[in-house]
Parts: sequence; C-alpha cells; structure tokens
Amino acid sequence: MSYDVTFQRCGISALFDLKGAVDAVEAWVGDALPDFPDRPNYRTGKDGKELFFIGRDHWLARAPLEQEVALEARLKPTDCPVDISIVRVSDTTTFFRVTGPDAGEILAIACPLDLHDSMFDAEAVTYTEVFGLKALVMRCKDGIEFGVEQSFADMIEEYLSRATA
Amino acid sequence: MLLIPCPFCGKRNESEFIYGGPVGADRPDPNAATDQEWVEYLTVMPNPLGPVQENWWHARGCGDWFTIWRDTRTHDIVEAPDGTK
Ligand SMILES: [Zn+2]
Repeated sequence: MSYDVTFQRCGISALFDLKGAVDAVEAWVGDALPDFPDRPNYRTGKDGKELFFIGRDHWLARAPLEQEVALEARLKPTDCPVDISIVRVSDTTTFFRVTGPDAGEILAIACPLDLHDSMFDAEAVTYTEVFGLKALVMRCKDGIEFGVEQSFADMIEEYLSRATA
Repeated sequence: MLLIPCPFCGKRNESEFIYGGPVGADRPDPNAATDQEWVEYLTVMPNPLGPVQENWWHARGCGDWFTIWRDTRTHDIVEAPDGTK
C-alpha cells in the first residue's frame, strides 16, 4: 500500500530555549520575539519568527537559520538575568515535513496524538512522539511538520521512506 | 492504553509518560523517628487495593512531573479520595 504524500528533510532552524517566569522572560526579550502565546501548546509568529509555549515556564523560539546570529544578538543568552535561562539549541533538532493528501495517514502510524483539524489546529504545537521518539509537532502548509533530536534524523528519514514507499 | 491527564497538556497517551512510583509518606525527622519508623519510611511502598497516588513524568511531552490517583482494581484514573491533598 502506498500513500499520496511527500516528505522533506528541512534540516535545522535557529532555535532558542527560554525558561523562567513569563513576566521575567517577556521583560528580557522585549520585542525581539512574537507575543507570548497565552494557551499551552500553542504558537505565535511575527516576521518569520515563531514562539512555542511548550511547557510550564518554558518556550522555544524558532527562526530561519540565517537569522540565528541576529536573534542571538537580541536575546543575549549569556547576559540574561539569573532568574531566567536562554540557551541556543539550534543544533539539537532536525525538522521534517510530511505533506500531501495522505499526510494524516502517515502521522496516524507515527504519532499517538489525534492530529485532525478539530483536535489540533493550525497554531497548535506540542511535544509528543513520532515513531516512538520525542518530537515537536505542528502543522505546516498541506501537512505536518515535526522536529526530532538531530542524531535520530537519518533513522527518521528511513522510517519515512519506508512508510511512504 | 491509559490516557493520562497532564496538567499542562491535557489527556495524553501513556506512552508519552514515565512512571515515577507511588507517592510515599512524608520524610520523618530522622532524629525523632524510631528505627522501625525509619526503616518503614525507606522500604515500605504504598501498595493498596484501591486508589493509589502516583508520580508521573511527561518525558516525551512538556516535561512536567505531577501526580494522579489510580485505582489498582480497575486501572482507572480516579478523583483523589476525600480528605487527601
Ligand atoms: Zn504535559
């Protein structure tokens, strides 16, 4: 059986891990990032940058890799106050996109979460599992995008090849 | 398959979680406890027939640690019994 999907290995993005009380983190980052999402496991976006609310007092900022240096200069991770934490984690995560009419079928094999539109809308983003690995899952145009720990990227690419063959 | 209610994420598949053991008694003051009380605290785990409070870690999710009550007779996640915190 084959599925009407394509997948793309997108590689890495500029990623910054932010932790701390929301007021303190917001005060430090100012307008360098989009507004902080008010719902857990949701994202906001502005000027190509995205902010994911991924855990209690925990966010992930994402931007195209070419913006990494500029964003780091704005976020100043090494200078931030001691009650918050900002760490550049761009190298840790490789992103994949699964798109096409049957993208949902592939994700239904890989992921225990109900990713139908009614349960997981366009701005939802969350850690869950993909092929048994911890993965950051969100929607993208015509499908689903997810990030996995980069050392598993070759393995996930092979899983996707087999699932879409 | 259990659906476990994470306080941050809502109900999620049990495969996203790691079990952290039952919630034990509060640590007694080692200077005030008898040897028997101390040994009980260190070695005797709650193992009731009925509701037990358990620690769970949303390891492949938001990373939160939290507790639930699970009924060992039915495997159902239940409300905390009256009078517990
Ligand atoms: Zn969670």
